[in-house]
Amino acid sequence: MKVFVDPNRCQGHARCMFFAKDVFEIDDEGYAKVKVGFEMIPAELELSVRKACANCPERAISVTAS
Amino acid sequence: MTEPKDIARQFDFHGEALDNIFENYAELRAKCPVGRSEKYGGFWFITKSDDIFAAEQDPEAFSVAPSMLLPAFGTDMPLIPIDIDPPMHQDYRRILLPLFTPQVLKNLEEPIRQTARDLATEFVRKGSGGDASYLYARPLPTIIFSRLAGYPEKDWPKFDRWVDDIIYHRVEDPERARKAGEELIAYFDNLLASWDNEGESSTLIDYILRAEIDGRKLNHAELQSYCYLLFVAGLDTTAWAIRSGLWHLAHNLEDQRKLRANPELIAFACEEFLRTLSPVQAMARTCLKDTVIRGQQIKRGDRVAFVFGAGNRDEEIYANPDKIDVAREENRHLAFGAGIHRCLGSNLGRRELLAGIEEFLRIVPEFRAADSTEKWHGVSSLTLEF
Repeated sequence: MKVFVDPNRCQGHARCMFFAKDVFEIDDEGYAKVKVGFEMIPAELELSVRKACANCPERAISVTAS
Repeated sequence: MTEPKDIARQFDFHGEALDNIFENYAELRAKCPVGRSEKYGGFWFITKSDDIFAAEQDPEAFSVAPSMLLPAFGTDMPLIPIDIDPPMHQDYRRILLPLFTPQVLKNLEEPIRQTARDLATEFVRKGSGGDASYLYARPLPTIIFSRLAGYPEKDWPKFDRWVDDIIYHRVEDPERARKAGEELIAYFDNLLASWDNEGESSTLIDYILRAEIDGRKLNHAELQSYCYLLFVAGLDTTAWAIRSGLWHLAHNLEDQRKLRANPELIAFACEEFLRTLSPVQAMARTCLKDTVIRGQQIKRGDRVAFVFGAGNRDEEIYANPDKIDVAREENRHLAFGAGIHRCLGSNLGRRELLAGIEEFLRIVPEFRAADSTEKWHGVSSLTLEF
């Protein structure tokens, strides 16, 4: 599974950090991005990434199968 | 039975109108999702979550001028940054953005918890109950935000009345709100005039005083406006959020026991309180070009309210939307707005709400509502007994 944060949509609600802080990080102005090395999500983190995606108020996170 | 068109005509999202507003939201979403109210000079309202979200993403169609606040917060001056459109909006916002990131706010975690513990301990020490709004929900954010902003402690006792007059009495008594607004502006004029700029302190006021936009410092009018906004945004909303969460738990002992037994659910419960009992039920815009939403034409120049409180209970988004489900896992509510005007302090507000509810539950034994006439909304008394 792949994950992507759309920088044009993210507004810094930081909900992704609550659900999957291993995968996302926040820059100095509060905007989220996927940590380097986590573009492909390890199986054990897939569920938490899906929850982050479902809870993003801006619909900024997308996940794809491959 | 009131007809939907009459509910629409009289639609209001302040004061007593909030008592039974959730029934009206359901009726409006079903029968008049975009409608027109005659209140406050006339305004359109949008109640469906997807419509609100789309409008929030379109600042070119919906301006925040003359103000996001309807009716005014005791002043006609546009408040920075919420009443400012792009491109200036982002310049103003960036001044404080770095101070409200989760990683920076981590430094406040222990002070917030210590303050919450002190207040809750004092609440218990007083005996068998008391006003949890006055003794807990209000002072917690007042203390935390005032320290962060740099308001001297000797001034804190004055703040509740300014908040009450400007935010709560503006609806039935705009003059009272204006008078308090003038006092608040005078207060900040004095504070800024005597501010020690040489020190190393790093309060919000220091940041806006040092900030530069395109190589220039903020002028006096800009400083006044930013200070005014921080004051009205930082104290009241979080107090309401904490109070409304405690209100729910005081009326629903089953939920209270569930959270005591499963403290890991409290974070989810707090999101649910924000979704269903949010301090900001709606924010206004001005339509910049003729627009059609759900078949309803909105003309250039018309005022439009985005009713977050209604969208947050939209049955097309949330299963069992009027149920406060303290374990709800999927919750992308819009209590803090969305798009470029997302509440700048949302990460702080969330942290205070979570710590506030957690510490209260930890320190105060099982409590229930002692006065059934006290409503879910606002920051007035919440009498608890334990």
